[in-house]
Amino acid sequence: MAVQPEVNKKSVMRTVLDAADDVFTRITAGISAGEVRRMIRGEAPGRPNPRLKPHSEAFLLHIKPTYYHESVTKFTHTFRLGLLSTYLFFVETITGLILMIWYAPTPERAYTDMIRLLSNVPFGQLMRDLHRLGAELMVAVVTLHMVRTYLTGSYKAPRQFTWFTGVILLVLTLFLSFSGYLLPWDQLAYWAVTIGTSMAEAIPPPIVGETVNLLARGAPDIGANGLMRFYLLHVLFLPLALFLFFFVHYYKVVHFGISLPSDEEEVGQDTANKVPADRRVYFLPDVMLDEAALLIVFTALMVIASVFFFAAPLESIANPQSTPLHTVAPWYFYWLQGLLKIADKAIAGVYLPGILLVLLIGIPYLDRNPSRRGRDRRVAIISGVVAGIVMIILSWMGTPYYAVQGAPAVEVIQELMPEEGMGPVREIGYAHLPLGVYDTRTHPESEDEEFNHILHEFEASIAAFEAKDPSFNDAYGILTISQEQPSLKRINWDIYWLSPEGVDETYNRFFFLHEDAFYWEQYGIKDFSFMRPATGEGE
Amino acid sequence: MKRPWYRFLYVRSSLVKLLLSIIAIMVAVAVVLFQGIAEEPRMLAQTANWDGRSIQNGAAIYANNCSSCHGPDGRGLPGVAPALNSRYFFTQRLADLGFTGSLEDYVALTVAAGRPNNRNSQWAQMMPTWSAEYGGPFRGDQVRDVAKFVVNWEEEALTQTQETDPWQPFENAPTVDIYGDGGVVAMEPTPVATGPRPPQELFVSMTCVACHNLNLPQDAQNRGPVGPNMANLHETAATRVPGEDAQTYVHNSIVNPGAYTVESYTPGIMPADFAQKMSEEEIQSLVDWILDPNRPQ
Ligand code: HEC
Ligand code: HEC
Ligand code: HEM
Ligand code: HEM
Repeated sequence: MAVQPEVNKKSVMRTVLDAADDVFTRITAGISAGEVRRMIRGEAPGRPNPRLKPHSEAFLLHIKPTYYHESVTKFTHTFRLGLLSTYLFFVETITGLILMIWYAPTPERAYTDMIRLLSNVPFGQLMRDLHRLGAELMVAVVTLHMVRTYLTGSYKAPRQFTWFTGVILLVLTLFLSFSGYLLPWDQLAYWAVTIGTSMAEAIPPPIVGETVNLLARGAPDIGANGLMRFYLLHVLFLPLALFLFFFVHYYKVVHFGISLPSDEEEVGQDTANKVPADRRVYFLPDVMLDEAALLIVFTALMVIASVFFFAAPLESIANPQSTPLHTVAPWYFYWLQGLLKIADKAIAGVYLPGILLVLLIGIPYLDRNPSRRGRDRRVAIISGVVAGIVMIILSWMGTPYYAVQGAPAVEVIQELMPEEGMGPVREIGYAHLPLGVYDTRTHPESEDEEFNHILHEFEASIAAFEAKDPSFNDAYGILTISQEQPSLKRINWDIYWLSPEGVDETYNRFFFLHEDAFYWEQYGIKDFSFMRPATGEGE
Repeated sequence: MKRPWYRFLYVRSSLVKLLLSIIAIMVAVAVVLFQGIAEEPRMLAQTANWDGRSIQNGAAIYANNCSSCHGPDGRGLPGVAPALNSRYFFTQRLADLGFTGSLEDYVALTVAAGRPNNRNSQWAQMMPTWSAEYGGPFRGDQVRDVAKFVVNWEEEALTQTQETDPWQPFENAPTVDIYGDGGVVAMEPTPVATGPRPPQELFVSMTCVACHNLNLPQDAQNRGPVGPNMANLHETAATRVPGEDAQTYVHNSIVNPGAYTVESYTPGIMPADFAQKMSEEEIQSLVDWILDPNRPQ
């Protein structure tokens, strides 16, 4: 065999080692084991630098620069937010593809598939929580990345187009999370998306608005067609579009180089691509180690967060016949919801966001100041901060705390036992709801401490509304808890009051609560009590 | 160069980065393993949770749609609809019918399709069709939820004795003696009228009592769950239909219940065939008796 002469020349051991090193070098696209050892030891590369080879040999690395300017590798220059956005999109793609295995986008199946995923698929809930958490983080990180590039003035010449593609990426990210929101097909999803798409209806002239709305929903109301369309947008069209724009964006970033800290070059200059030899930081090994370490730590944090602190919500199945009391958009659309409360649909939902988008794209052309230094850019920085504050105020106005109080009787019950989600009563649960009739006029007490809190809150909340609202007088409430069936309690709320005209008014609402039902909040420490072995009675 | 306060975020040492990565990997693996251990009980708890929520939804559906015929507690209404919260229903009904599926399936099927008619049946009402698939109002998940709720009566129903079992045998189905002493008592067939029967007897034998409460008023605090309460009917009857005094209104309500439906009640619940079951004289005495403010309780 042809091996023979070689073995004769070297030893057997040497031959095997050389062959192994050869395989290793092929896998790493040009880095031999010895080179890895030298990298770990921190030795300088030889000449020609063998560590550049993977950049030309390997597909995945060919788009990464071979070296960076030392100043832009400082964590605090970019905060690696662009990298994190990219990584989160990758995480979303992986978890999203896994979720697709158990998900069928039809109204008959979507919601039951979610339940099946939660109760019948090992790690199914973790996948869903990761996907949802990743989605929220991605929106946050992309936005922060935009804020960073704004504050460092990185949108200025020659990077206007980079900024433009960035804005497209932001829009795509927002649409991705909006379209994903519908997929669980619960009340939360259905109504948030109904309101969202109804804004499209306000696009003038009516014929255009109606057509856009019809195209998005597939029918005048969201149904089987709408779900299918959102699904296809979510898993196919938007990810592909984001993929494409990401590469354009990143190509431009590499093409121009990441902008240097503004102090390090003259105003009007752009020296990002002229890196002096002594300031180069090579991708292999330094930047790679840095980025890999960051992403590994970030992944660990995400896993910890979704195992212990984050649970994707699932309300009851979408019901077009019943509009929930408070529809809540995800937090990153609170500002839009806030706008909708103070302006009509056409202004808040079409004109203002449209103007905002055009302004965002136009920033590099509106801001003609050539300097990227903070002290030369007072106007730009102050307008940025003001815009940020306005967004935060609008977001606060978008929460239910602002100006959507319903009738007092309705709100009292909604606070204690909301239509959807947990609320204090479901939080203490079946076991802590002793049967009986509790009339707030007699200040009832029970054996159960936790239940007493509910009774006090019930009383206090009625009293608070009575003090606040002149149309709500002499109010009292009766809470009746009865056993409807074995392991099923009926929680019946009656509130009585006198209207200003002195007429008796009443409001009734009842709910059922099953012994095994449990509810959870999206954020907060998760409940692992199910891991305790059941103790039979007692609990 | 000035040093920003957040400089501590910048880790320079390769060794620290390497260590951090290794620790992070170990922590992540440990957390995932922990989740792995929790998966079995978590999935069990979730399964029970969603079954429980299904029953909760079913309970609300039942209260809003079924209780007017099958009674708020599922014990049926005489002559209107059979009991579901019944030991007989849980133990023998399927065998009597020769149905080989599960009781939950039987309930779901009955709810989904209803019954085609109530001709030749002892029931005043027809079991309506509920599934949207066959022209009713419910989605598939609602049919399943309400079936789960009905079946959840089992534990309670199985504690019933012959005296407490509300089952009313179907006239067209065999009745098996499950209590070992002659079977469930069949409903008394309506006796043929031989002379005017007294109103207090009619009120019971005509099953009015199953749907109407004579001793409670109908007002904001009290609402008859199936049909309106009657303690204050002598005050309200004349206000119902313009141009009809109390006597005429109550008379028409009995003879022709479809003509006017009291607010918040479902039309078609009250049987329409009382005029054939009572003589005009009997109806008149019943009307007087119901409207008598001094009627002994
Ligand atoms: C209009 C009155 C009416 C309403 C409302 C009604 N039912 Fe019925 N139901 C009947 C009657 C009458 C029967 C007996 C039909 C027959 O077999 O002839 C029946 C039969 C049934 C049966 C089969 C009982 C047996 O032993 O065969 C089930 C189960 C049932 N109903 C469940 C329901 C549920 C659940 C609802 C609510 C969604 C409901 N029904 C609403 C009148 C009603
Ligand atoms: C299956 C249940 C049922 C039975 C049995 C029944 N009713 Fe009714 N009844 C109703 C319902 C439901 C209403 C309200 C809807 C309507 O007006 O049709 C009503 C309404 C009435 C009213 C009008 C009440 C008002 O407040 O305006 C009168 C009077 C009445 N029933 C008398 C009778 C008498 C007498 C009998 C016995 C011969 C009887 N009902 C049997 C269900 C029933
Ligand atoms: C999915 C969304 C996005 C991804 C994956 C992404 C990715 C990246 C990456 C990896 C970089 C390299 C430098 C860094 O990490 O900061 C970068 C730079 C840049 N991004 Fe983004 N980006 C996204 C969204 C945006 C948005 C919304 C904007 C602004 C509207 C934006 C504007 C820029 C600009 C101007 C640069 C150049 C920065 C410089 O040279 O200093 N990007 N982007
Ligand atoms: C190619 C990439 C993606 C695929 C294949 C994918 C697939 C899916 C699937 C199948 C669901 C339904 C499961 C569920 O609701 O739990 C879903 C939900 C969702 N997706 Fe994605 N997704 C992708 C990317 C993204 C991105 C980039 C975002 C956000 C920026 C996102 C945001 C969401 C949201 C908010 C939900 C609802 C989550 C929930 O309620 O659990 N997805 N996705």
